[in-house]
Amino acid sequence: MSTSEPDKLMIKADKMTKLTLTRWNADWRGATDLYEQAAVAYRRANDYEKAKIAFEKASKGQEMLSSPWDAAKHMESAASLAKDLKKWNEVADFYRRASELYNECSRAQPASDALMKGARALEETAPEEAIKLYTDACVLLEEDGKEQMAFDLYRAATSLYIKLEKYNDAASFLLRLGLAADKCNATNSQCKAYLGAIIVYLYAHDIEQAEKCYNDCAEINAFQGSDQNRCAVKLLTAYSEADVEEIKRVAQSSTITHLDHAIIKLARKLPTGDVTARNEASKEQEEPLDENDLT
Amino acid sequence: MTVIDIPFRVDEICKKYDKYDIEKQREQNAYGDDQFARLYGTFESEIDSAFEKSERAAFEQNRAVSVALNAEIRRTKARLVAELPKLQKLAHKKVKGLSKDDLIARGDLVLALQERIESIPDGTSGGAKQSAGGLSTSAPNNNHIKFDSSDGNFDADYFQQSEESGAFRREYEMHRMKQDEGLDVISEGLEQLKDLTHDMNEELDRQVPLMDEMEMKVDRATSELKNTNVRLKETLFKVRSTRNFLIDIILLCIILGTVSSDATRRQPKFFIPTLATKDGAFKSIIPFRHGCVMCQASYYPPQGHAADPIKFAALPW
Repeated sequence: MSTSEPDKLMIKADKMTKLTLTRWNADWRGATDLYEQAAVAYRRANDYEKAKIAFEKASKGQEMLSSPWDAAKHMESAASLAKDLKKWNEVADFYRRASELYNECSRAQPASDALMKGARALEETAPEEAIKLYTDACVLLEEDGKEQMAFDLYRAATSLYIKLEKYNDAASFLLRLGLAADKCNATNSQCKAYLGAIIVYLYAHDIEQAEKCYNDCAEINAFQGSDQNRCAVKLLTAYSEADVEEIKRVAQSSTITHLDHAIIKLARKLPTGDVTARNEASKEQEEPLDENDLT
Repeated sequence: MTVIDIPFRVDEICKKYDKYDIEKQREQNAYGDDQFARLYGTFESEIDSAFEKSERAAFEQNRAVSVALNAEIRRTKARLVAELPKLQKLAHKKVKGLSKDDLIARGDLVLALQERIESIPDGTSGGAKQSAGGLSTSAPNNNHIKFDSSDGNFDADYFQQSEESGAFRREYEMHRMKQDEGLDVISEGLEQLKDLTHDMNEELDRQVPLMDEMEMKVDRATSELKNTNVRLKETLFKVRSTRNFLIDIILLCIILGTVSSDATRRQPKFFIPTLATKDGAFKSIIPFRHGCVMCQASYYPPQGHAADPIKFAALPW
C-alpha cells in the first residue's frame, strides 16, 4: 500500500505537466510539490532509481518556476542517489547541472561545492573526470576571488594526480596552489606548496626540473626567508652530492612532516633511482669545458 | 668571677711569670746577639710550617683549598729563596764567641737550607717525585716522555695538571651534550608550534570574509523580520477592532451550538447511505448489524461479518 502512494503522486504530477486539449498550461507548482513528495517517499522506501527520477523531475519543475536554488538542491540529491546506484556518468552530469544552476543564482561557493562532491564521488572510478571537476571548481572559486577556499581543492587534485602517477601535472597543480596562496598572502601555504612541487619532481627523478623549479621559486621573497627554502636547499645539495644518508635525513625532518600526507609519503621514499648518476653527468659536462679552456 | 675573666687572668699571670719561663728566655736570649742564628731560626720555622702545609695539601680533597695552599707554599719558598743571600752574608760575618769551624759549618747550613727549601712539595715539584716512583694514576707513556726528553720534568707536571683538568673537561663536555639534546627537543617542539600557528593564522584569515558575509546576511534578516513584525502588529490591530471581535465570537458560538446539537441528536438512519440491489431490497453500503450479538454491541461490526441484505424495515431501530 505505501509504495503505491508515491507512484500515484508521480502519475498525478505527470498528468499535471502534460499538455492536453483540456490543459493548456502545465501546473508546475502543484506538479513540483507532488514530485518532491514522491521523491522523499521513494527514498524512504529505499527505491533509489525512482527517487532519482522523481528528484530530476522536481528539479526541472523548480527550474520552470524560476527558482534555480531549489532546482540545484534537487539536482544534488538526484546526483547523490545516482552515486548510490553507481551510475557514474549520471553522477557527473547531475553535479555539473547543479553547479550551473547555482551559478545562475550567482552563488559560486555552492557551485564549486557541488563540483567538489562530484569529483570526490568519482575519484575511484573515473579519476580523469574527477580531475576535470576539481579544476572547474578551482576556476569557479578563483573567478569569484575566493582563492582560499580553493586550497583544499588543489590539495585533493594533487593527491589524485599523485595516485595516478602524473607527477608533472601534480607539480604544476602545486605551483598553481602557490599562486593562489600568493594572492591571499598565505605565505606558509605558498612555501609548503613550492617545497611540495620540488619534492614531487625529485620523486619523479627529474632533478633538472626540480632545480629549475627551485630557481623559479627562489625569486619569490616570501619563499626565500622561509624554513621550506632551507629544507629545499639541503635536499638539492644532498642530491647533487649524491649523499643518500643526507637525503634520508632531510626527508625525516620536521619541515617535510608538516606538508601534505601524499607528499610526505613521496618524500619518505626518496631517493628514487640512482642518485650518483647526477654527479657523473655534471662531471662529463665540465670536462669538455676544461679541454676548451686549455686549448 | 665569670668565665670570660679567666683567660684574661691567666694571661696576666703568664706575663708576670714569663721571666721564669726558661725555654722562652733561652729562645729569646740565645739568638739575642747572633743575627745569623735568629734568621736561621726563622727560616727553619718557616720551612717547617711550609712542610706542614704541603702535607695538608696532599691530603686535601677540596681542589680549590689545595691549590690555595700550594700557592702559599710557593710564595713562602720564593720569599725564603730571596732572603737566602742575606743569610749567606750573615753566615760569613764574624761573630764573637764562634769558632772558625762553626763559621764554615754555617755556610754549609745555609746551603743545606737552600736544598730544604727547594724540596718543599708545592704541587709542582711533587709530580717529579711521584712519576719517578711510578705512580699508578699517570699513564705509562708519561715515563717515556720523562725519560726521553730533557723536559721530562715539565711534561710530567703538565700532564699531571691536565689529569685534573681533563676530568673537568670531560664533565663539561657531557653537560654540554645533554644541553644540546635538550635544546634539540625544544627546537622540534617549537617548529611544530610554529607550523600549527601558521596554519591557524591562515585559517582565521579564511574565515574573516565568511564572517563578514554572515554578519551582513543576518543583519538583513533581522531588519526584514522587524518589518514583518511591525506589519503583522498593524494587521492584527486592524483585525482586532472590537466590533469585528464580537461578531466573530457570536458566529463562533452559533457554529459550536449547531455542531454540538447535531452530535447529540444525530440519528444514524439519517446518514445511512443505501444501495438498491437486484432483489429490490436496500442494502447498506456500510457493513452493518445483522442481528448477531456482537454486531448489536458495537456500531461497526467486527471484520468478517458479512453484510446481509437486510430489509430496511427489519432493522431494530
